[in-house]
Parts: sequence; structure tokens; C-alpha cells
Amino acid sequence: MYLYLPVALTSINIIVPVGLGLVVGLLSGLFGVGGGFLMTPLLIMFGIPSTVAAATDSNQIVAASTSGTYAHWKVGNVDFKMGLYLLAGGFIGGLVGVQGIKVLNAMGNADFVIKMTYVLMLGIVGSYMLFESLMSMRKKKSEEVKADKESAMGKFLKSLPLQTHFEKSGVTHSLLVPVIFGGFVGILAAIMGVGGGFLMVPVMVYILRMPMHVVVGTSLFQILFNCIEVTFLQAYTNHTVDFILAVLLLLGSTVGAQVGAVFGRKLKGEQLKVILAVIVLAVTVKIVFDLTLTPSLLLGQSGGH
Amino acid sequence: MYREQNIRSWTASLNNLWRMSITFLFAILGAFAPADDAAAELTARANHDRIKIDFFYHGSTVSISGISDPGADLIITMTSAEGHQALKKKGKVAGFLWMNVGDMKFEHVPNMYAVHSTRKIDDILSPGEMEKYVIGYPALGKHIEMTPALSGEERDRWFNEFVKFKEASKLYTTSAGKVTTAMENGKQKYYILTAWPYQAPPGDYIVTVYAVKDKTIVEKAEAKVRVEHAGVVKTLFDMAKNNAGLYGAISIIAALGAGFGVGLVFGKGGGAH
Repeated sequence: MYLYLPVALTSINIIVPVGLGLVVGLLSGLFGVGGGFLMTPLLIMFGIPSTVAAATDSNQIVAASTSGTYAHWKVGNVDFKMGLYLLAGGFIGGLVGVQGIKVLNAMGNADFVIKMTYVLMLGIVGSYMLFESLMSMRKKKSEEVKADKESAMGKFLKSLPLQTHFEKSGVTHSLLVPVIFGGFVGILAAIMGVGGGFLMVPVMVYILRMPMHVVVGTSLFQILFNCIEVTFLQAYTNHTVDFILAVLLLLGSTVGAQVGAVFGRKLKGEQLKVILAVIVLAVTVKIVFDLTLTPSLLLGQSGGH
Repeated sequence: MYREQNIRSWTASLNNLWRMSITFLFAILGAFAPADDAAAELTARANHDRIKIDFFYHGSTVSISGISDPGADLIITMTSAEGHQALKKKGKVAGFLWMNVGDMKFEHVPNMYAVHSTRKIDDILSPGEMEKYVIGYPALGKHIEMTPALSGEERDRWFNEFVKFKEASKLYTTSAGKVTTAMENGKQKYYILTAWPYQAPPGDYIVTVYAVKDKTIVEKAEAKVRVEHAGVVKTLFDMAKNNAGLYGAISIIAALGAGFGVGLVFGKGGGAH
């Protein structure tokens, strides 16, 4: 059955958005990512204008992350304190990133910077996560044992002022650490036009040394707030949120997020990281192909990356 | 004097009688004249003059029919008003990376452009007539303006890319031979059934039917098709544009509600524990 989307101004078979929502929601519940880096290109592939795809995806992530946060909160896997500091940093970073995009647009090379940031960040994060997870699985070391091993980075973070204990995550950090790294992710997310979950998760795992299951719940919590802000701004300033498309997507994604949260508890932290790393790398390879193969159309709608 | 007046009056009556007789005679002759002479005027009719985009809209079909001069070829164009289109241009960066390298603006281009004819346009219409009435892609290519301004092969190349882009979104199409004609009671009737793309946005569209003889357009007729939003689609579209704050708030509240709702359902079922 086809439905007409009033803002996207196109018609779509309802199986497509509900199915996409289910798959991406599943990833969201499993890994604590919003899934924007997957969903937005998929929606564009199915004929949704790029600006509407990005804005509407934010709207459906609000639903998926609410559903996911709720499921993780019920089992005590959301560190609200850490989430709020990351949010504060992310908010500042987002503002800086948006200004950065304006400068790049004025210089005329925004697209190149955005695409390269995408490939590099996804490639580095995916490769590192895959390598690290496989190594630790081989050594059969638990997350707790690894946490004891102090790196130079760890020592530096410990030396910063305003140290505080994050009870839920079982870690002690300076307040500056989540704010600064949250800000860094916020800048990149704004440049890339994504929520930044796939960047925030590795930051929490490898820099903040939080346990994987708390990482997922906390990441969803901060994604929820980011996406509420983005949805409102997109609807208010650009008129690009398609309510019908969002409803179809969230029909799938809210259920997917719940199923993902259930499956996630059955998988080990290392296994989750390996699967996420493989997905991130697969998306990287797809982007590299898109960049190097001659496109079928040399003209495209304005407004997308 | 009186006699002179009588003679004038008598002559005038005779003249009137003569005129009436001639008119009557022509009327009688007209009634017995061959029927196809009376059917020379071109007509055009679209079966839908209003297409409503409602919740379950997935495009439509429009049939165009009418009467034309026997033996005339027909060309039917369906176009939106001319306007401008700004598109992103893809090019190679650093010799091997395809990405957006700038904007291309096209002026005097219709958003939708469909041309259907009884035979191949090149076989039935002269190049001069094609350009005069902007019929066919080559004529449209000469008619539009591009920014940055290009000439020669480069202009042709980017116009072809533009047509490829529009054809991919089903807004541009051409066909030859799909307009069928049949003689009925000495009149030539024509007919075509076309798919109306769901990608065509709301607005007024003009259907123009050209009758062609000896590679020249001899007559044209027009019909209008209006596409408009209706029902839920109209309500949401208008709200998104005119009441954006409320629309954004409702979108967020609905998403939060759906997320919590599904969370509660799964929670009660034991899924979250």
C-alpha cells in the first residue's frame, strides 16, 4: 500500500519506511546509535529529498531513542549524570560546528570537507573498534580487567581538575572530560549532519572507559535530547520534517529498539563492538564506492551533501 | 413624388426578398454538405481537470481526447509553467573523487514536460516550428538559459544531464506513436492515455494539442489540469509551512509518546527485564 508524504511530496510503499525503521531501530537498541548515518542515505536512495530525509530521521530517532532509553533505564543502564555533561559539551560543539559549516560553504569546499570527515571518522572508528574488540576477545580479557590497565591518556585524564565519580558507570573523571569530548563529537556531528551516536559510543567506551551496556543506554539518552532540538529547528526553520514519514519510520524503529535492547543484553560487550564496527566499516566502504564510481546522474537536488 | 416613393419601397422589398432567398438557399445547401468540413476545428479535453493528492495518492492517469482535421498529425504537450531550477553539479575532485562541485541554474524551464505525438516529431514537424513552439528536447535545450553560461558541446552535455535527471524523476517524458487516431462519422478522433507522475507537485498544468500538416502547425487547442492537495495531506502541508512551531512540537510529542508507548507495552510484557 502506498501513502503520499505531504512534505517530501512523494509517494512511498509503507513497507519501505516501516522495514527501514525496524532494522535501524534494532541497531539503535543494540548499540546505542541513532542510526542516522545509515537511515538518511537509505531514505535518499528510496527517493526522499535529502533535506527531508535528514530532518525526518531526527524526528523518528526521538521515538526510537525514547523507546531505547526507557528499556535501558528499566534495567539501570543509563548514567544520567554522564549523559548531561556529554549533552552540555555536545550542545556547544554543535553551535561551533554549524558556524564551521557556514565558513566552509562560504569558502566553497564544504562538500569535500564533509565527505572526507565522513570517510575518515567512520573508517578510523570502525577499524579501531574492530581491531580492539577482536584483540580483547582473543585474549579473553573482561572489560573490568582492561579498565585497570592505565594508558598515558588515562593518566593525563586523571590529572585534570574537577574530578568526580560517576556511580552508574563506575568511573571517576574530571567534569571537563565529558564536556570536551562531547563538544568534539558535537562539532563533527554538526559538520557531518548526523546525531553522532557512532562517534559518542567509542568515546564513552575507549576514553571514558564506561561499561558497554551503560554506554548504550547513556548514548541513547543524549541522542534523544539532541534529536528533539534538531527536529524542532528543522521543522521551524526549514519546514523539512515529514510527519507521515516519521510516523511510518517510528512504527518500525520503536519496536526494533526494544528488540535490540533485549538482544543486546544477551550479547557480550565485545561482540556488540565487533558487530557495530563491521556495520560502520561497511558504510565506509559504501561511501568510498559512491565517491569513486561515476554516478549515473551528474545533477542532483540542492540541499543535500 | 408619391409615385417615386412607391417605386423605392417596392425595389427595397424586392432586394430583401432576394437576400432572404439566397440565405435560405445556402442554408439548404449547408444542411446537405459533407460532415467532415464542419469538423475542422481542433478540440482538446482531459478526462481529469482536477487531480487531488490525498493520503493514498500514487500518481494518476490522464487521457486526452478530441477531434481534429482529418489527415492531421497531432502533438500533445503537457507542461507546467516555466520557472527556474537550481541543481547541484557533480564533478571530479583530485582526479578521482566524485562530489558536488557547484550549482547549475536553469531558467525558463518547466518542472514537468511531456511530449506525445502520432509519429516521430522529426518526421512531422520542421525544426523552425519546433523551436517556435518549444516542442521536443532539442528545442527546449535552445529555449532555456543556463548559469554558468555554456556554449557548444558543453551546453548540450549539461542540458542532456538535466533531461536525464528530470526523466529519472518521471517529470520529463516523450513518446511517438502513442497518440492514436480513428475516423468516425467523417471526423478524425484522437486519444492518448498517459501516466500522471506522483512526483508532479501541486499546480496548474497546461495540455496543448497541436494539429500538424505539411510540417507546419495549423491549429492548436488547450486544456488545463490542476493538481492540488486534499484532506490530511493538505492539512499537514499547510501546517508545516504556516504553523511550523506547532507542527514541530506535535511531531516531537508524537515521537515521544510513541517511544514511551512501545516501551510500556514491551515493559509490561517482560521484554525489558
